[in-house]
Amino acid sequence: MSIAPKPNSALLIVGHGSTENPDSSTPYFDHADEIRRRNLFAEVHCCFWKEEPSMREAFYLIDAEEVYVVPDFISEGYFTQDVIPRELNLTGPTTTVRGKTFHYCLPVGVHRSMTDLILKRAKDVAPRVDPATTTLIITGHGTGLNQNSTKAIRDQVDLIIAAGAGYAAVVDAYMEEPPFIAEWDQMSPTPNVVIVPFFISDGLHSYQDIPVLLGIEPEVGAAASQREVFRQNPHSLRGKTLFYSSAIGTERLLADVILDQVSDFDQLHQNP
Amino acid sequence: MTTALKLRELLRNGIHRIGELELLSDVYGFPYAICHMADAELATEPAFGGLEVHEGPNDARDLSTYGIDGTYRFTKGQVNLKRGWVMPLETEEDLRIALDQFYPACVGLFLAQQGGTLEIEMLRDKLNRQTGMYRFARSISDAGAQKLVQEVCGPAHQCAKKILWKLDPTTPLDDSEASRFNGIPSDLTEAESIPLLCREACNHFVAECRKAAKAEFEAKAAAEKQA
Repeated sequence: MSIAPKPNSALLIVGHGSTENPDSSTPYFDHADEIRRRNLFAEVHCCFWKEEPSMREAFYLIDAEEVYVVPDFISEGYFTQDVIPRELNLTGPTTTVRGKTFHYCLPVGVHRSMTDLILKRAKDVAPRVDPATTTLIITGHGTGLNQNSTKAIRDQVDLIIAAGAGYAAVVDAYMEEPPFIAEWDQMSPTPNVVIVPFFISDGLHSYQDIPVLLGIEPEVGAAASQREVFRQNPHSLRGKTLFYSSAIGTERLLADVILDQVSDFDQLHQNP
Repeated sequence: MTTALKLRELLRNGIHRIGELELLSDVYGFPYAICHMADAELATEPAFGGLEVHEGPNDARDLSTYGIDGTYRFTKGQVNLKRGWVMPLETEEDLRIALDQFYPACVGLFLAQQGGTLEIEMLRDKLNRQTGMYRFARSISDAGAQKLVQEVCGPAHQCAKKILWKLDPTTPLDDSEASRFNGIPSDLTEAESIPLLCREACNHFVAECRKAAKAEFEAKAAAEKQA
């Protein structure tokens, strides 16, 4: 979907960030760079919950009077429904805060175009593998605290099955709630398994924690950018051939999904 | 006037430093350039004195992610920026973009302070908004928080930001090197250097509050068990 330039508006990309992992915020800055390069907005900024600049500092980054806020999060849930609105003083889809008009868009992960990105990522990581002999697992964090955190992934599983992508099986799995990603081999009836982490960054969870749960690594290792060699696919484990991709958010095309959410906001709320 | 144009005015009026960065004007055909303050003289020599040249603002984040010792700079006020590079910039907007990567929002915070519109966030407000594993941070005692400021903040602990917050509106920070620090990690004055402002406790400080609060809780539990 194309988006008309907004030369008088700012785009604010909101991420989680980390004080522990240097790679956690990389995709957000990459997405901002990509969108800035296209000269669609007067300004493009990032802000974070656990990194600088904070969401409350973001106000001091922005000159424009109109601001589109896009949560670069993979699901609707506690952060997008509670934390971000609270931190930015947003009370609805459009809120005026200290003289600026903020439009609050939906998070990238719930956009329908994520389905194509997942399929692209799955194909990229295992280009010569026949989907008919492959199980595609989309994995996320999962938490008993918020049902919405898994809904985005379950929706994607349904969409991929409905799209007829040809995979023998398409399933969801999580770190902290069943079905557990640690049991990936048991939920895969095929010799080949492709796992796509539904996270924004190759941070602590997708790059360090999940590989241990999969059996790729014996223990939590260094951050991706601090390793000399990125992991090589495939992995022969538990009698299967496993392909583990980098996080879906590291896909540069996610910048387009951010723009899609801005465009959808304008259409839904009839913003000119 | 945009932040970028205000920044240009600051430079024309004598500002040439922010944090550990030297802000250079009119260097070998470039309107602006930035480098580590210790490389300022080299950067004005022919061919930028042999410094590694990173043209445009895009490498600012990479240059500021790891410190001179290779460790992750988990707060941006840390005084351990790498040396040996120079970043020529074509416009004041590029300068602003670069500075917002090295010192996020710090130009805007300074301008807001100058304009009287900067809102400060008290530590208790910040801690009370923490969620998940950091929720426990809110139980830290006032004495524990005051002690942490002296153990975590200030240039002695690698942070060059000027603390503007208090524990709460009626509880200022105890006097210390950290609470007195002016946000300028050199001997320059505010006429020459934009101070780094800390309008809210950083996430590193919050994480330390959580650890200290847990230690306080465990010490209290142990004392009650003994009693």
